[in-house]
Amino acid sequence: MKLLTHNMLTSNIIKGVTKGFPLQIAATDIKVTEVDFNPDFISRMISKVEWPALCEAAESIGHLGDLPKELDPDYEKNEEFLKKAHHVLLEVEIKEGELICPETGRKFPVTNGIPNMLLNEDEVGK
Amino acid sequence: MQGIRVFPLEKGLLISNVMQRKCIFTALKSAKHAQVVAKSARAFSVCAQCKQKQQPVQNIFDRKAKKMQRNRTALMEDYEVYQYIRDKVGYSLADRIRDIKRKFNVVVDLGCGRGHIGSSMDPDTVGTLIQCEMAEMVLAQACKNEDIKTFSVVADEEYLPFKENSLDLVVSGLSLHWVNDLPGTFKQIQRSLKPDGAFLGTVFGGETLYELRCSLQLAEIEREGGFGPHISPFVEPIDIGALLDRAGFNLVTMDTEEINIAYPSMFEVMEDLKGMGENNCAWNRKSHIQRDTLIAADAIYREMYGLEDGNLPATFQIIHFIGWKPHPSQKKPAKRGSATVSIKDIDKLDQIIKEHELQTKQDTEKKKSEKTEKSKDDKNNEPS
Repeated sequence: MKLLTHNMLTSNIIKGVTKGFPLQIAATDIKVTEVDFNPDFISRMISKVEWPALCEAAESIGHLGDLPKELDPDYEKNEEFLKKAHHVLLEVEIKEGELICPETGRKFPVTNGIPNMLLNEDEVGK
Repeated sequence: MQGIRVFPLEKGLLISNVMQRKCIFTALKSAKHAQVVAKSARAFSVCAQCKQKQQPVQNIFDRKAKKMQRNRTALMEDYEVYQYIRDKVGYSLADRIRDIKRKFNVVVDLGCGRGHIGSSMDPDTVGTLIQCEMAEMVLAQACKNEDIKTFSVVADEEYLPFKENSLDLVVSGLSLHWVNDLPGTFKQIQRSLKPDGAFLGTVFGGETLYELRCSLQLAEIEREGGFGPHISPFVEPIDIGALLDRAGFNLVTMDTEEINIAYPSMFEVMEDLKGMGENNCAWNRKSHIQRDTLIAADAIYREMYGLEDGNLPATFQIIHFIGWKPHPSQKKPAKRGSATVSIKDIDKLDQIIKEHELQTKQDTEKKKSEKTEKSKDDKNNEPS
């Protein structure tokens, strides 16, 4: 599961949870792969991503590197920055681990890079 | 406002449901001069009314069973053979996405199956694709498009784990017909979409497998004296429109198409349905069907619907729909009284069109001449 996906997931589906974002990560197996760098794609994705949550997540798994915690207003032209963002968003992958809901502590397992967001019957409710 | 929260607890009313809380707020807003006691009574009665009006969430399908059935198809050696309907519909959905002249950066495929939509998508129209599927073994077999960044999440269609206002497009190809709480799912999709985001999907309609349904019913009546439900209830095209509207979607459009597939006998129909993972999972399904009922049903099917070449047709009615999350840029109906032409002049329509074209031509020419005059002035005023 890449950090880009992690930035989209919440645990608001659990009964009674109002602020289920961002999910905390407890990773047991992290893989770093090389992915082709596409500056346009990255700059578009950065505008959609919640930056503080991304930095928090990257820091918790120890792959923050020297990524700035605050977005520069003209990040689109800064290639160095885009490359660092590309590494954090797409090259770091959590293969095995758990996503933890910040409010209830419920753990969502990540197996083979795929997070499992299915709920048990007793947690279900609206 | 404090009084509203404290007061129900004093009276011993355990109001935990958000819907009921909202009722108290609306009741109290309207009852400006009412007494405290009267407020409580009215609030309670409004709540009671609301409780009755509140439609109970339907629980028709056993989602656990559906997950097991889908995972079982993944264990078949020849699972690819059964994917023809979803492949065809997936291709037409990807085509429809291409028809929308926009690039969608974050797309979610709900109930993706084996990635039927994703494999036909264009990297020009889709940035990232997140495939969601309830059955993890099926998701593991999903084909990923090499040109599009694809991510997989095991998620239930009824409980979407996505943030509000985060998605550009949600697609769903033939998986929503096993969802219990369709209004709830649509509302969640509407919430997770960004304003001006779209929800594009296909779902099986009421006419699907009507031949199988009727044959089984007649055979059961004949053999066992009564009949049980064997085909799951489908949504009618009219209801989809109403559901999308209620969930808060704008500019809803739908169309239906029917796919007819010929099979050698009724047993092949049922075998293929099992291979697709579309076996019945309704709570009220019978766990056993008698052998002579099945043989009788096959004979009835052939008698009533058989084709000339000896094959049996099975109909799949597919409803395609699209809804948009409201956004100020979307066209709204024109204001009352803003009409410039009367419908009484419809017989002079050609003349009106010509006059309108002349008018627009004159306007554009005026604007052009104004522009050239302006640029001339600017040139004169420029410091030499």
